[in-house]
Amino acid sequence: MYFESFEALLNMSGHGVYVWSSLAVTLAAMLWLVIAPLFKQRALLQEVNRDIQRQQDRELAAKTASLSDSHEESN
Amino acid sequence: MSWLSDKFSSTLSGGPSKESPSWQWFYRLGSPRWFYQRSGQWLPWLSLVALLVLATGLVWGLAFAPEDAKQGNSFRIIYIHVPAAFLAQSGYFIMAIAGAIGLIWKMKMSYMVMKAAAPIGAVLTFIALFTGAVWGKPTWGAYWVWDARITSMLILLFLYAGVMALQYAYHSVDAASRASAILALVGTVNIPIINKSVDWWYTLHQPATIKLTSAPSMHMDMFMPLLVMIVGFYLFYAVALILHTRNEILRRERKTSWVRELVTAKAGG
Repeated sequence: MYFESFEALLNMSGHGVYVWSSLAVTLAAMLWLVIAPLFKQRALLQEVNRDIQRQQDRELAAKTASLSDSHEESN
Repeated sequence: MSWLSDKFSSTLSGGPSKESPSWQWFYRLGSPRWFYQRSGQWLPWLSLVALLVLATGLVWGLAFAPEDAKQGNSFRIIYIHVPAAFLAQSGYFIMAIAGAIGLIWKMKMSYMVMKAAAPIGAVLTFIALFTGAVWGKPTWGAYWVWDARITSMLILLFLYAGVMALQYAYHSVDAASRASAILALVGTVNIPIINKSVDWWYTLHQPATIKLTSAPSMHMDMFMPLLVMIVGFYLFYAVALILHTRNEILRRERKTSWVRELVTAKAGG
């Protein structure tokens, strides 16, 4: 290591504040760039799943409705 | 004449055309489904490599590289500032080229890449501006100066924001894509201005450290970690672009059968 101690690395002869704050903001921004789309992907897949469920419910309702209709006709 | 009838029958039956197999990769790349499935396989490996390269470059640059004779340790900001600024500009080219391909070949996949590239480029431009400002304080005595390099980078940020805003300015996805692509292409004028700003005007910003045409103006012990960081940022950019593009594919193809099959397969397994 270039620095003599961990404290010297943190302090960087007075420039530590600038270097470490730059790093913190950069890492936060970069993490946001990869984590936000992962959450978004989950939401999108759940939305598709809800669409499928809704369609299946509608189909089932239509089927039972037509079944009960034919039942009434036979009476 | 059997070869002729074979040819006709295959054309009439509508089978896969064997005209240009060398172009198949281009058509495959144009298929959102193919891209979604393949990129899902690439992502874990690409992310791992990006993480390892970035971690190596950061530790090397921040803890092991020697300090600058004039700037002291504040120069270490270069290891995030320069790669971010590099990718902010490369990313703009990627976005503009994707837009051009979309305009010329009406390739939807290409428009999706263009849309995905805009927020990533904007964040990288912000990182370059922010780290530059923080670096400016101990070096120039000011966080911000209206210097040609800094101003042209700020214009780059506005161009990215413009491309993002245009995506939501139209009801029709096609019209939004075309308008964004045209703005992206017109905005490429700004890239050589950013590059040359330190030569054309008398700027406070230091001239380029790395040039393709000559040896780097810094010692190898300082330059090697910078090179590693630039490679790391490129890898990170690829990961981010793939992630954002995959979401755009899902958003636009959510009514298609392949996306539905994907979701039911996941829910069932």
